[in-house]
Amino acid sequence: MQSLLLPALLPQLLLTIAEPVLNKIISLDPDAAVRLQKLQGRQLAVELTDVKLRLVFTAQANGIWLDQHQEKVDCAVITNLQSLRELKDPSQLTRLIRENALDIEGDLQQLQQFNQFFARLNPDWAEHLSGYIGDAAAHKVALLFRQCQQLLQARLTQSEQLLTELAQDELQLSPHPSELQQFSQQVHQLEARTEQLARQIASIKGN
Amino acid sequence: MTEQHQDAAAAATDNTTHFGFKTIAAQEKVSMVANVFHSVAAKYDVMNDLMSLGIHRLWKRFTIDCSGVRPGQKVLDLAGGTGDLTALFSRRVGPTGQVILADINESMLNVGKDKLRDLGLVNNISYVQANAEALPFADNSFDIITIAFGLRNVTDKDAALRSMYRVLKPGGRLLVLEFSKPTEDWLSKVYDLYSFKLLPAMGQLVANDRESYQYLAESIRMHPDQETLKQMMDNAGFSQTSYHNLTGGIVALHRGYKF
Repeated sequence: MQSLLLPALLPQLLLTIAEPVLNKIISLDPDAAVRLQKLQGRQLAVELTDVKLRLVFTAQANGIWLDQHQEKVDCAVITNLQSLRELKDPSQLTRLIRENALDIEGDLQQLQQFNQFFARLNPDWAEHLSGYIGDAAAHKVALLFRQCQQLLQARLTQSEQLLTELAQDELQLSPHPSELQQFSQQVHQLEARTEQLARQIASIKGN
Repeated sequence: MTEQHQDAAAAATDNTTHFGFKTIAAQEKVSMVANVFHSVAAKYDVMNDLMSLGIHRLWKRFTIDCSGVRPGQKVLDLAGGTGDLTALFSRRVGPTGQVILADINESMLNVGKDKLRDLGLVNNISYVQANAEALPFADNSFDIITIAFGLRNVTDKDAALRSMYRVLKPGGRLLVLEFSKPTEDWLSKVYDLYSFKLLPAMGQLVANDRESYQYLAESIRMHPDQETLKQMMDNAGFSQTSYHNLTGGIVALHRGYKF
């Protein structure tokens, strides 16, 4: 029953939606075509072990096409969702490999080129929007969007900083594990002495 | 083998074949099928979306996934009709690859040609009007051959499979996407009801052609089931043949390799 209707075809459904969206975004970046030329004919596979999904990106001059096959590709990245997010920062590559959170098969340069392509993707939303609502309105919407984005980014950075400071303060207040161990020993000793005292009192009362 | 398929095998020996549930002279089938597709060509895509609720797009994507297509490869989309698979392949093989859209029916080929041109896919696609039983290509020409919802309309399926095997490169693969036999009884009953009652009515309403969609339902029932088709592929010479049931076996994707 599980594979009866759509669930078995769910990855295909997602790719059917994701592929045109991705290519629309690429088409809105006027510089993307030149960068895409360098990747033309290359295939990158991203295998996410935690969600059991293997996604193959095929780059051509007219876009990036998504598939789900197990065939040999130019470069395959085997990782999990969390580590994939960290891959945005190339300096994390060695650490992730060392921690066995990332495995790369094939040409590492292809991974870096795909990574760079996505990182530098900068769609010109205003240009596209102007076709529908006119230049002036599109400019204002784009400006508003950028301001909101900057505000959100600033708030996010502020929150992260606050969280870090709180954690550091908490760290100063928190006892060291050896201090905690010592305190625990003292409590045990006190408990033993209290019991001993209680027994002595009971014996005096009995006499 | 089911009773219907034993009938089909028997028909093959006395030079008759099936056109839906009718038994006809083998040489008549090509022109009768051609008439069906001349009639439905213009509304083919709309009806496909309507009949399958758009799921045929996912079945075709699954076919692409199982093809393992790579840039630079040469692909034959046989009985390619309005070119759905050709469009998907064309984008993936890129300028160094080639896709040939072949169909026996000129009307379908013309609709496919117009659609693909409108999509801007012109550089790596060629069009050939060809009979699957006698493919006009040299031996060992293609990395991938697909035939989606076409094999059941072929008069001599064994000859067609042998022809595909001949033109496939060693290491290449054939993918046959076709209606098949539902795996669950309840689904079979629902599917029968849908195919024989609703489908011809929809054909009448949308394409003003009840008979063609009646033929579609009948031809699906007369098509070999999953295991029989797998055996036919084995007999044609394909290796490592296997199939995936899709949507409860309403459709199956068969895959075989040439080594």
